[in-house]
Parts: sequence; structure tokens; C-alpha cells
Amino acid sequence: MALNSNSPTSWECNEKICVRNISRSYGSTRALADVSFSVADGEFFCVVGPSGCGKTTLLRAIAGLEDVDSGSVVVDGVSVTNPDLNRGMVFQEYALFPWRTVRGNIRFGLDRPSCECPDCETRVQELVDLVGLDGSEDAYPKELSGGMKQRVGIARALAVDPEILLMDEPFASVDARTRDRLHAELLNIWNQTEQTIVFVTHDINEAVTLADRVLIMDANPGTVQSMVTVGIDRPRQRTAQEFTEYVIQIRDEFGTSHGVTEESLMKDF
Amino acid sequence: MVADTFGVDLQRCLRGLGGLLVFLLVWWLGAMATQPSYLVPGPLDSGRAFVDLFATSTAIIVPVLGNRLVLPTGFAHLVQTLFHYVPGLLLGASCGIGLGIAMGWNGALDDWLRPIVRMLRPIPPLAWVVFALVWFGIHHTGAAFIVFVGAFWINFYGAYSGVEGVSSKLTDAASTLGVERELSMLKLVALPNAAPQLLTGFRTSMGRCWMIVVGAELFGAPGVGYEIINASNNLAMATSVAYMFLISLAFVCMDVGFRFVERRVLAWR
Repeated sequence: MALNSNSPTSWECNEKICVRNISRSYGSTRALADVSFSVADGEFFCVVGPSGCGKTTLLRAIAGLEDVDSGSVVVDGVSVTNPDLNRGMVFQEYALFPWRTVRGNIRFGLDRPSCECPDCETRVQELVDLVGLDGSEDAYPKELSGGMKQRVGIARALAVDPEILLMDEPFASVDARTRDRLHAELLNIWNQTEQTIVFVTHDINEAVTLADRVLIMDANPGTVQSMVTVGIDRPRQRTAQEFTEYVIQIRDEFGTSHGVTEESLMKDF
Repeated sequence: MVADTFGVDLQRCLRGLGGLLVFLLVWWLGAMATQPSYLVPGPLDSGRAFVDLFATSTAIIVPVLGNRLVLPTGFAHLVQTLFHYVPGLLLGASCGIGLGIAMGWNGALDDWLRPIVRMLRPIPPLAWVVFALVWFGIHHTGAAFIVFVGAFWINFYGAYSGVEGVSSKLTDAASTLGVERELSMLKLVALPNAAPQLLTGFRTSMGRCWMIVVGAELFGAPGVGYEIINASNNLAMATSVAYMFLISLAFVCMDVGFRFVERRVLAWR
């Protein structure tokens, strides 16, 4: 982890996360082109965009898992060069360690020497309760449903108490009813932990349900299209007029950039 | 449901028993029809020869320690075989697994050694018998050396493919959870992930090494393989069959034992 003094930034960053002009190409494909935005401390920040808009690359860059060709990611005033316990990540395909039980997976980060954890057992049990997995502590990932696996994924990331939680389409492979319940639980956890969450999704409804602000991205190359602040009190009702208006507004943002019909957008998202 | 499974199990057992009876019958008829009778010893003669293996005692010398050990003849020769089978297998497996892990994990080492591996791996272990003869003489050490070569490559390949095939999802997850050093990543992620391939490699090598050890003993090292050829030199083919059966029995015992351990260790699969 680079120290502040070693990597001075030429611009001010007073927010929790600042992404400045980052670009990333894979061969001739430009995954990200000059992307900039910042995320406030304690904010629930969603990134939406079609497949191939580089939203996963963006999240991985914030995590420190991916190098960028130019630009920089700054967290708490420090340039990101490596993964860090302070930035937890929840993966789309769960990425659980199959040889570890639920308890073992959640405990993984607590066993690192860099992590101070005076009473790991209690902490693990707390998290098991928090994500509603009591009774399955000793199950292996293969025995769990998709929704339960992702609960483990979230608990595992939360275990080390990171200030930032990065979530890469975490509920994409979960059925609709479970997803609704997980949304409520996630908001609940966020209320308790006051973390900063960056949540990537391709589902506009999901973004409007969860986010304080929604960053809308465009594909080929991945660029920032616009930003929408969702000013609805939580819990949000999907059937509410206000909610629908935000969904339509975000859809329209895509419409203006592509000149496509609403039907084709419905298909994409 | 339970009764159903039992019914299926019973049916399978009866079929297996039926197949065995037909095999014994064909063997018996074939032996009756063949003249001179030593060409195909019948099941009854072979069974009697097998019992006879344990009716007499034989003294063997324990290598390294040099003390005499008196055991029923069949056991004595089996133990002689184990004197080179076990060290050859364990040493070969350890070295093979060690090199496999190192090459599977370290790309530079892989580049350096791959051509050598490509060249040496296809050589059948028994081809090394000439070097076993000139370096060690064809006794326990020479035979153990040949077993070593056989165990080495099978275990090498299991470890190599297991470690090399670790998904980047899992290593990414581990690095966001505070795993920084390469060695920790190997210990916490790559090795547990490779356990199934490692164990399959070892189990395969146990079987293959029985073939190799008998081959090595045909050149004169003491043990069951040597006894097979020794008996046939005296036209006591029934005794040869008895020793063949002894090898099969020893292998089945080891295989069943190992599968039991494997099921325990790999309960997460």
C-alpha cells in the first residue's frame, strides 16, 4: 500500500473515493475511457450500465485488483495500488472457498495477521446472525442456494469491518424474491455499519431501490454518461409513482445517448 | 426410499456375484479343457496354492536394519515388495508433488523446466531399470528407484494441474481479504483448491506403482513379482496365480483405505 507522501496527488480529493480520468484497454478494446467521479463517505453508490461498459473493471480498479493505464483511484487521500482489508469485495459468482464451511469462509479475513480480532468466534457468530445464516454455519458452499452463498459472500467481506464495500452484481444470479429480501437486508446492514457501498448492477430497478446516487455508464468505450441523485425516502416502494419516474429518467439517459426505443432498452436491462 | 436403495443394492450385489460365478465357471472349464494342465491352473488349484502361501514360513532380511523377520511365506514376500514399494512411492510422490506445486505456482520456473519435463515424462519408468541396475544393483534400492520414477510423474502432474488451475476469482477474493504474500496465497488458496487433484494423483500412483514394482521384480528384486516368475520357472503356475491374487488383494485394501480417507478429506466436494 503506497503511503500518502509517496504518491502525491495533483488534485484535491476530499471525498471517500475519488476516481480521476481512469482509462483501461484490453488489446484494442477500450474498457474504460477517461472515467471520473467521486463517492461520499457513507454513501450508497450504484453504477449501472449495459454489459461491456467496464463497470466490473471500474470496481476492480477501486478494489486494487486491476491496474489502470492512466488516471488514478484515490481512497481516503491515498492512491490505490493494491487490494486492502479496508475495501471489501462481494463477487458476482460468490467466489467462496469451497473447501471451507460457512463459518470458515466468514472467518477467512479474520485469520490474517494484519487483522486485529481479539475474539474471532464471537465476531463470526455475529455475522452469521447478521446475514441470517444461523443453522448453516457448518455447511459447505456446495450445500447452499445462490442466495445463501451470497449471504456468506457479504458476511465474509464484512467480517474485517471494511470502510468500503464493493459489490459486483452480487444478486444477478439470485431469484427475484430472494433478491428483494437481500436488498432489504443489505440496506439494513448498511444502516448499521455506515459503510460506503459501491454497487455495480445492470438492473435499473435495483439501482433505484438501493442507491443514494446512480452513475450511468455507456459502453464501447466505457464512459460516464450521467449521474442521478435518487431523492426518495427508504424503504422505497417499486410501485410508487416517484420510483417509476426515476426508473424512466435513468432509462431516458440511455435513450438520449443511443437514440433507441424503450422496448430495446427493456430487452437490454 | 430406504427399502428402495436396499433393493437396488441387493440387485447389484446379486449381479456381481452372478458375474463372478460365471467367471469362475469359465475359468474352471477352460482349465479342464487345456492340456498339459499347468498351462492354465484351475480356480481350485490356485485357491489351494494361495492357502499354501500361508502354510509355510519364510525368513526375510529387513533392509537398512538388517535383522531377520520370519513370516508366513505369502506375507513375507508381500512385505519384501513393500520394502521398496512404500519408500519409492512416498519419496516419489513427495518429490513429484513438490516440483508440481513449484512449477504450477511459479511461471518462470515453469518456463525453465517445461522442456525438460516434456522430454523426461514420456519415458516409461521401467526403462530406468538399466540405471537402477548399474547405480544401485537390482535389490530393494534399485526397485525403489524405479517405483520412485513412476510415482514421481503421476504425482507431479496432479499437483501441477491442481495448483496451476486455481481460479483467479478465488485468489482475487483472498487478496481483498488481506492475503498479500505469495506463500500465504499458495497455502491458503492454491493448495486446498488443488487437494482433489493431488489426492487423485496419489491414488492413481498407488495403483500404477504396483504394476511397476512387479515389473521391477521380474528383473530380480525380491518380492511377490519375483515369486511370480520364480514359481513359473518351476512350472508351479498355480502359485504364480496365487501371488497375482495376493497383489490384487493388497492393492484393493490400499485403494479402499485411501478412498475412505479421500472421502473424509474432500467432504466439501
